[in-house]
Amino acid sequence: MKKIFLKTALYVILILISLEIIVRVFHLAKDNPTRFVDKHKVEKWWPNQEGHSVTGNRRQNFSEFHINKSGYNSYREFIPTKEKKEIALVGDSFIEGFHQNYFNSIGKKIEDRLEGVEVYEYGYAGYDLADQLHLIYAYKDQFDLIDNVVIGLKFEDDLTRSEYHVVQDRMHLESPIYKKIRNIKLLVYAQNIGVLESLWKLAGRLSSIGKQRTSTLKEVISEEDIEVKHLIYIENFKSLVTNYGFDKERFVFLLDTKITPLVFLDYLASNNYKYLDTYKALNKSKSPTTLIYDRHWNNHGRSLIAELIADHTLASEE
Amino acid sequence: MVFNSLEFFIFLFTVFVLYWFLFKRSVKIQNILLLVASYAFYGWWDWRFLSLIILSTTVDYFVGILIDSNSKQSKRKLWLWTSVVFNVGLLGFFKYYNFFVDSWVDMFSMFGYDIESTWTLKVILPVGISFYTFQTMSYSFDIYYKKLKPTKDYLSFAAFVSFFPQLVAGPIERASNLLSQITNKRVFSYDQSVSGLKLILWGLFKKVVIADALAPIVDDIFANYTTYPASTLILGVTLFSFQVYGDFSGYSDIAIGTAKLFGIELISNFRFPYFSRNVAEFWRRWHISLSTWFKYYVYIPLGGSYKSKWISLRNITIVFLVSGFWHGANWTFIVWGLIHALMFVPSFLSGRNKMYAYTNIGDGDLNKTLKELFDVLLTFCIVTFAWVFFRSDSILEALEFIKKMLFSFNYEPYGHPMGYRMIDYYILIVLFILYEYRIRKDEREPFKFRSKFIRFIIYTLVILLLLLFYDDNIDRSFIYFQF
Repeated sequence: MKKIFLKTALYVILILISLEIIVRVFHLAKDNPTRFVDKHKVEKWWPNQEGHSVTGNRRQNFSEFHINKSGYNSYREFIPTKEKKEIALVGDSFIEGFHQNYFNSIGKKIEDRLEGVEVYEYGYAGYDLADQLHLIYAYKDQFDLIDNVVIGLKFEDDLTRSEYHVVQDRMHLESPIYKKIRNIKLLVYAQNIGVLESLWKLAGRLSSIGKQRTSTLKEVISEEDIEVKHLIYIENFKSLVTNYGFDKERFVFLLDTKITPLVFLDYLASNNYKYLDTYKALNKSKSPTTLIYDRHWNNHGRSLIAELIADHTLASEE
Repeated sequence: MVFNSLEFFIFLFTVFVLYWFLFKRSVKIQNILLLVASYAFYGWWDWRFLSLIILSTTVDYFVGILIDSNSKQSKRKLWLWTSVVFNVGLLGFFKYYNFFVDSWVDMFSMFGYDIESTWTLKVILPVGISFYTFQTMSYSFDIYYKKLKPTKDYLSFAAFVSFFPQLVAGPIERASNLLSQITNKRVFSYDQSVSGLKLILWGLFKKVVIADALAPIVDDIFANYTTYPASTLILGVTLFSFQVYGDFSGYSDIAIGTAKLFGIELISNFRFPYFSRNVAEFWRRWHISLSTWFKYYVYIPLGGSYKSKWISLRNITIVFLVSGFWHGANWTFIVWGLIHALMFVPSFLSGRNKMYAYTNIGDGDLNKTLKELFDVLLTFCIVTFAWVFFRSDSILEALEFIKKMLFSFNYEPYGHPMGYRMIDYYILIVLFILYEYRIRKDEREPFKFRSKFIRFIIYTLVILLLLLFYDDNIDRSFIYFQF
């Protein structure tokens, strides 16, 4: 009896080691850059890192990233001057663009369209408006030199808080244990493809045994609740722009009007906040604008967004 | 609880440890453990339907004793019919009631009488009902035919009926094989357990890598067949052949492998059916436990092939039609059975139905093998054609699918519905066929290589492929659960 347990354990260990080697050799798992909080309490990537982002079980999407000295994924360094014309893109993973080659980013596409313009992509997965405005506020010296600032905004996700603080949940990913786990590429791969998901689900189910069952039906949210939530988000917006500042001349939001409530769009319009509509830009396309494996913009989608921003820049110059 | 879930493997490990470490001294306690584990396994899905299993177990337990205790043939027959009526009634109500009501209404409307059906019921089909009712019936039949003595041990009998590895999708065991193993003491065997683990691994491969990976493609093509060209429809039904094989034979392998871990040998359910050289051989290799059941309890009692040719043909047709109907309450399954009957008959009439009973493809020289490969391809085409009915929702849909596939041929490359590379799947299928050909002589030894190193590489590759084709979002239940 002992023999079967020992031999099985031996085989399992050997197979796991072999799989770890295979995952590393064929680069099936994504590289996780290190994040940190800088002296201005801005969360960003540790400078000068390189690696690959991988999506799908069979490496269906494989792209290189490069973290510059400022801590963002970009092919260029961010050195704004009074003389040059610069555009800053501030946003979440859509701007960060780990799912694309860093040489083929939205910023690069804008630069290809607008000669002599440098585009700085301050993209970081999970950034909300508090993160973004705090970043601009913390690096005011730099941002004051930048001619146009485009700020990505998703109403439902980005206005849940009224003031900035470091998101500790994300920073926990930098704890020694997580770092060690990330060194096991097989585990990273298993996590990426959802194998570990069933483990968490089971753990959740086991921990809920004996507890009172809650209804499996989705909570019905009334119209009134939605209205109240929208008002709270708008209040958060007001608080953020008051606390961290907002230059209505140079700053413009990049948002999808299809998923943004009318009440907020009206508020922006009536208070002279400018915005660019990604929905209009993407919806006119006959071919898909998002990746197959997730909802991020694909190459074509990024080109359309770049065109939208470039056109706006040209228009504002006139 | 499904075999391809983490829950199952935790459950299996727990039961295995209890079975061999804590309860190994007593067969009775081991059987109680198996019974409790089996009910927990089934109850995980829906505990309410446990009552049906318990009811079926109780009825056949007492029917078995009553058949045996009566010497009068008429009384024995009466008790046998009690079992048959009860089990078929159970099956009929849960599986076929709505089908009969709908067919009755449709028949009236065909003659111009439109009646509004108010008799259809919202009946949930209990998982595995077709399997365990057949298994309990086989017990009563075997006692009736005096091939078996009834057991007086209710718990062991209940463990036989509900033995969790094969409870929900077979193999359908005859009491003479399984019950005797359950009532006798089991001894732990290292070789048997290792063999079980290998079968579980191979079964998982067939389910996760072959069946589950192909499922989205097949579902897409069958759901949107009107919009696809003929080439895509051919691809869809061909891939369904592999999906249904991977799904069902994968389940059977895991069931057989799991039973081995408890010192129990189940009968083989699949012997590389797609290497069959005619339809008769296909049925010796596909869902063997069901074919055997129908052979012993339907075909032979009807007279088998010992009477006239006409009676034999009648019996063959009945068996195939009933077998088709067993799969599901839909005319599509009956037509599927009928097609197989029609394809089986030529082999039967020419006396070729048993010619491949004891040989495998590739046993002879190269010339013979090449000729056999042609036969294999032809048989595969026939079987695949019949799958159109099996997979379609209605006869009309199946006919339209076939019409488009055969009579308006055009080619366009097909793109995976989720955007994955199709070439991955084509390579996978080709490698799967080649590997199955390599191991075709022994369905119980999927990793039969002399070199330990090669075996190790194969295990690693199989697990790697499990990861490469794993999809967390897919419905992981087995196709045959619905039967």
